[in-house]
Amino acid sequence: MKQSLRFRILFPIIVLLIIIPMLFPFLWMLMSAFKTQVDIISWPPKFIFSPTMVNFYKVFNEQNFLLYLKNSMIVGVGAVSFSLLLGLPAAYSIARFHQKKLSVMILVARLMPGISFLMPWYIVFSRLGLMDSYTALILSHILIALPVVVWIMSSYFETVPREMEESAMVDGATMQHAFVSIIIPLSVPGIVTSVTLSFIFSWNNFMFSQVLSMEKTRTLPIAVYNFMSYAEVDWGGVMAAAVAIMTPAIILTMIFQKYVVKGLTMGAVKG
Amino acid sequence: MKKIGLFVLIVAISFSLFAQGGAEEKQEEIRVLLANHPYGELLKEAIPEFEAETGIKVNVESLQESQLTQKLTTEFATGSSTVDVFMTRPLQEGLLFTKNGWYAPLDSYDFSDYPDPAVDIGKKDGVAYIVPLVTEWQVMYYRKDLFKAAGISVPTNFEELEAAAKALNKDGIAGFGSRGKGAASVTQISSYIYNFGGRYLEDNVAVFDSPEALEGIRYYGRLLGNYGPQGVVSMSWENLMPVFQAGKLAIWTDASVFYGQVVDPSKTQIPAEDVGVAQLPRGPKEDSPFIVASWGMSMSNKSKNSDAAKQFLDWATSKELAIEAMKRNITMARDSAWLDEEVRAMMNPGLIETQAHAALNGFPFDRPFMSAVGQARDLIGEVVIESINTKGTSSKLASLAAEKTQAVNDLLKADGEYGGN
Amino acid sequence: MIKSSFFERNLKYLFPLPALIFVIALMVFPVLYTLFISFSDWTLTSGRPLVFAGLSSYMKILSEPRFLDAVGRTFYFTIGAVLAEAVLGLTIAVILNREFRGKNPLKFILLLPLVATPVAVGIVFNLFYDPTIGFLNYVLSLFGLPQSGWVTDSTSVLPSLMLVDIWQWTPMIALIVLAGLAGLSSEPYESAKVDGATPVQIFFRITLPMITPTILTAIILRAVDALKTYDIIYAMTGGGPGYSSETLNILAYKYSFEYFNLGQASSILVFLFFLVLLFSLGVMKLRKRFEM
Repeated sequence: MKQSLRFRILFPIIVLLIIIPMLFPFLWMLMSAFKTQVDIISWPPKFIFSPTMVNFYKVFNEQNFLLYLKNSMIVGVGAVSFSLLLGLPAAYSIARFHQKKLSVMILVARLMPGISFLMPWYIVFSRLGLMDSYTALILSHILIALPVVVWIMSSYFETVPREMEESAMVDGATMQHAFVSIIIPLSVPGIVTSVTLSFIFSWNNFMFSQVLSMEKTRTLPIAVYNFMSYAEVDWGGVMAAAVAIMTPAIILTMIFQKYVVKGLTMGAVKG
Repeated sequence: MKKIGLFVLIVAISFSLFAQGGAEEKQEEIRVLLANHPYGELLKEAIPEFEAETGIKVNVESLQESQLTQKLTTEFATGSSTVDVFMTRPLQEGLLFTKNGWYAPLDSYDFSDYPDPAVDIGKKDGVAYIVPLVTEWQVMYYRKDLFKAAGISVPTNFEELEAAAKALNKDGIAGFGSRGKGAASVTQISSYIYNFGGRYLEDNVAVFDSPEALEGIRYYGRLLGNYGPQGVVSMSWENLMPVFQAGKLAIWTDASVFYGQVVDPSKTQIPAEDVGVAQLPRGPKEDSPFIVASWGMSMSNKSKNSDAAKQFLDWATSKELAIEAMKRNITMARDSAWLDEEVRAMMNPGLIETQAHAALNGFPFDRPFMSAVGQARDLIGEVVIESINTKGTSSKLASLAAEKTQAVNDLLKADGEYGGN
Repeated sequence: MIKSSFFERNLKYLFPLPALIFVIALMVFPVLYTLFISFSDWTLTSGRPLVFAGLSSYMKILSEPRFLDAVGRTFYFTIGAVLAEAVLGLTIAVILNREFRGKNPLKFILLLPLVATPVAVGIVFNLFYDPTIGFLNYVLSLFGLPQSGWVTDSTSVLPSLMLVDIWQWTPMIALIVLAGLAGLSSEPYESAKVDGATPVQIFFRITLPMITPTILTAIILRAVDALKTYDIIYAMTGGGPGYSSETLNILAYKYSFEYFNLGQASSILVFLFFLVLLFSLGVMKLRKRFEM
């Protein structure tokens, strides 16, 4: 393609104009995480400063950050695993038997405001003594992960040629057997997409954990929020905590970039 | 098939991770809920001593104050409570909990070392339910160096306070700060309303639309609107303290508990000798800052280990711990803790003076004392914000206050607390 | 073998059954329970048991100015933020819809706001917005412009929050439109070129009509999520100053978990539920219209 000189100069500038506002908050967060409180509150804002690790030290040593990290992992892994167990067969069935009503129901679950389930859960879980338990948190987070899994996987299964399982069944395998031994291994890319996305959604969830978890099972988003609301605002510490919470999701995105794009956009674009 | 194996593995791992805490040896155990408050921290540190002494195992949880209220309320209301002893805010949840019979009566507790008003808050029909722990009253923190440089003396009445705020409001330093964030401001504006002769409730009827109360709200709004730091309507103490510590606030009125942090050299840029503590200036009608029992300790009526719970309560509210707390600038309710020689030698004289003044003249409430206090604080907060946003000049302030007063009265009626007793 | 064939014959019911049971237990049942509570007078803190109260909770909520304001704000926030996201997202997608070096890293950068934890994003923007030490007021001062209170001022708080939403979600629309553009067939373009159409004409006559279904679906999906925005608002302002950024979600949270006024909280939730359901039906209609 021929490109005019004007275009070749202009285009990178336009791209930069898009990138800079996207990235700047991240850069500022990163910089602030390495600043002392005095540098952060100095006016005008400092771009050059001598970096300090004291904020990260505070986050990981003085706060129970490792516990919250572990909690977030348990809840995320638990919710995603159960969502796969429940969601894969359901998605397969939706794809094979064209169960429209079911897929609509799952879509509704994806769209409904979490708070409309949260209040009844709160009452029921506290009656059952399940407040501040991993069980309650994982159950609630399945409702975040399951629709993602079903939604992504039902479209994915549609792309798996039917002949694959049919040929297996000719060989005498049952349909459920064919599903486990043939379809699932063929669907690894789809599973990776849904696992990555649903894990990130669970990881980032604030509202459910805010209400259902307390001291023992508190997850990272709540910990980060509390870091800000207790005591005086220790900006450096808060920014270090923000960096710590975002890093895993960003690394996952970096590794599975292609899948994440696909998963996020497939809601609106068929395919 | 490999994939399934992986699933099972993941599920198994996550299960084993959260199925922790198996069998432990039979031992007397109690569950204690503490607040994320300096005294709660002190207790947490000392609990191993208690366990070693008594052989009772204490399971502690510390929660942020609103979470603590939320957790206690739902556990009690849904009948799922397993808590034995807990820290409680007599003015926030006290009425509700006593009304519902969630506190255990403290018949055998010796209250002689406590000021009567503090104990009375937690009483119903002559029975006490709450041991007062911490006392708070309103003080005025101010910058001695700025006052000196401007050549003005510490204000003793509201006219002087306004003049000082105006004079000191320059060079990027706000003249006057106090909480402006709706519900959070309610406790701090209370003393201003009292000093103008107003009240939140009178005989359990909301009256904060009285001319006196309105005058107080206007005055507070005028000061904060004209001389307050930018964004004051979204500031509570946690936002104001760093402004003061950064040297950008000349006068700050808030609760006495913050003195320790204000002068903590690791957090502040101003030397301790430049920070003064004085009593809130007197108003045109009264001179009665709030002085309240901000925290107390209680036992649950549903406790199955009431002996062990009582033992813990006695220990956690003991004189020895109170003195220890005083040394850390936590202002305790026990009278005798204030008389301790060692404590008096260490304490800021400003704190001792203002406490004596407030104990004598103060008013024992800093918010409307009712079950739906959270909602009432939001309603009053709206009036305060309107006043601050208009620098106290709002023409619709009176009608807004009347409307909110009515709403608070509706809440009182809904809970059967309106009027009378 | 008989057992297995039973399993096989009913596979289409048995496969989705566990997921179905789960969704009914954790979603349908709670919604029905909320509906039930909304017809009662139940304040957890009053110590009184639940009493049936007909429509009184709804009446109280409908006459509560706070609720009506919250409805207005929710729409204002949603419409404002999503419109801006649509325009910006479409523009970015059209600009980037070509091959160039560094396209993949650029896509990665676009993904970052989407996967960033909203609560943390809110806190980072709070540092930007801080009236005394914030970066944005510094930028304003460089240009000699008057400083803003941003989220601390009741007049600027909603636009400030919308800006955060726009920052976080514009890339999503851009990515969706990019994916849509990539799927367009090239035939119409070639014939247009033969006819000598200008790029602007091509965009408005060919690209836009073809991409409209994708954009509309993306907008409605975004709108449903924007209606439910909670994390950012709660973390940044908690609904303040005063009530000036209190949306339906925040209001429902406060009635449920701060006032424990479950009767009225439930009636707000039911309202919110139907609002979202309405939008969701819109999504479904559109999907059917354009895709089936």
